[in-house]
Amino acid sequence: MNWDFIAEYLPMYERAAILTVKLGVIGIVFAILVGLICAMIQYHKIPVARQIVAVYIELSRNTPLLVQLFFIYYGLPKLGANLSPEVCGIIGLAFLGGSYMAESFRSGLETIAPIQRESALSLGMTNRQAMQYIILPQAVSMSVPAFVANVIFLLKETSVFSAISLMDLMFTAKDLIGLYYKTIESLFLLVVFYLIILLPVSILGSLLERRMRHAGFGS
Amino acid sequence: MKNLKKFLALSLAVVLTAGVTACGSSSDNGSQKSGKEVYRTLDEIKEDGTINIGVFSDKNPFGYVDENGDYQGYDVYFAERLAKDMGVKVNYVSTEAANRIEYLQTGKVDVILANFTVTEERAEEVDFADPYMNVSLGVVSKEDNEITTLDDWNKDDSVIVISGTTAETYLTKNYPDIPLQKFDSYATAKEAFENGTSVAWANDNTEVLAFALQNADKGYVVGIPELGSSDSIAPAVTKGNDTLRDWINEEIKTLGEEQFFHADYEATLADTYGLDYEDSLVVEGGKKSE
Repeated sequence: MNWDFIAEYLPMYERAAILTVKLGVIGIVFAILVGLICAMIQYHKIPVARQIVAVYIELSRNTPLLVQLFFIYYGLPKLGANLSPEVCGIIGLAFLGGSYMAESFRSGLETIAPIQRESALSLGMTNRQAMQYIILPQAVSMSVPAFVANVIFLLKETSVFSAISLMDLMFTAKDLIGLYYKTIESLFLLVVFYLIILLPVSILGSLLERRMRHAGFGS
Repeated sequence: MKNLKKFLALSLAVVLTAGVTACGSSSDNGSQKSGKEVYRTLDEIKEDGTINIGVFSDKNPFGYVDENGDYQGYDVYFAERLAKDMGVKVNYVSTEAANRIEYLQTGKVDVILANFTVTEERAEEVDFADPYMNVSLGVVSKEDNEITTLDDWNKDDSVIVISGTTAETYLTKNYPDIPLQKFDSYATAKEAFENGTSVAWANDNTEVLAFALQNADKGYVVGIPELGSSDSIAPAVTKGNDTLRDWINEEIKTLGEEQFFHADYEATLADTYGLDYEDSLVVEGGKKSE
């Protein structure tokens, strides 16, 4: 292990890590928004929109992120939409993550027995109040484990961004191997940096899961 | 629950044992041939009957896959002959620029014939045989925004390079201020360049020339045909695999007598370059004419 090499290229990895986290976080925020909207549409069984969401979810969950990115980055310019690699990465992550988030929120919503909604309505609550005070708080707590798993999954998926020339962690490692042939050092730094990013997320996630477990009703 | 735990513990034990034995047996194999070399000697390849050759799959006309799914090109033409004279079958392994050295160091291929430019840095990691082609760097750009020099670079513009190529190393070293847009394969770099991602694409001059000629109708031009020093392209083997390298050198020398690489050029490259570049590109018998 050549420690001088590691010290010299540490800043490069730091920049790459910041890019990875930045794109990851923005992408995940959009994924959550898309997921919430889709889950709500499915839960309320809104006609037409519901079918569109179903098609979207199947399309997005059954194609690899790499293929989606290739389509967005190399395909869309042929149709006249030339987007920067960063924007493509975020769109790709939101497109993929949206469906996973939607599924986790939907399964959370479905665990809440209909009797709770009916009870709330019979107590004189409006539909919105029942959603806001009774169903959503429980549904959110039920979907936390799946949600945390999705966040970690999406952060790891950012490693395919290298295919659209984004200098993320994966690309930096591959590039350094190609330039200086220091395979062990480059891969070592790669693993360390992914751990630095993902371990806190995973630890925070399990803490959150443990706290949220108290929020369920009758379980 | 208890049963489940027992089952899990048992399966873990089985997996671990299997893993350890597997590792053990593979290192046994290694020790039989003095030390822990990853490469296969000439005799081992002949005995096995198949040679693994790393080539490009997306670098027309040097190494590419044609519409029938067969490997074709200048490098492949040579690879076919190499295997034929060795009396073995070829197994082509598709490589990308950045992992050519890795493939040799991990023994995934026996020879790299992927338009591999000889450089001092690379020679420390792998062993090169004698050269079979000349090359230098070139820069291709759009006709209406032709790039003829890399000096006084406008920092808003980027240059496309492929990760792990000599173009990347050269620009990183000599023009650190030029923003590089890096791709990991020829196919993606080409696609991005055609989409107008960057103003220029730096690569082996053979490759950018081929690109400009193949896309002449779209208005590409090689504004810088020669950048940096003139280099050679040679087969590479894993460091220390002398039996194989010596055999390849001998083969290249023999092939020189029949002007094999001229025939190779005419069969694979003439369609793209015409015959004008034949004598400047081809190296015959492993000896460069100065």
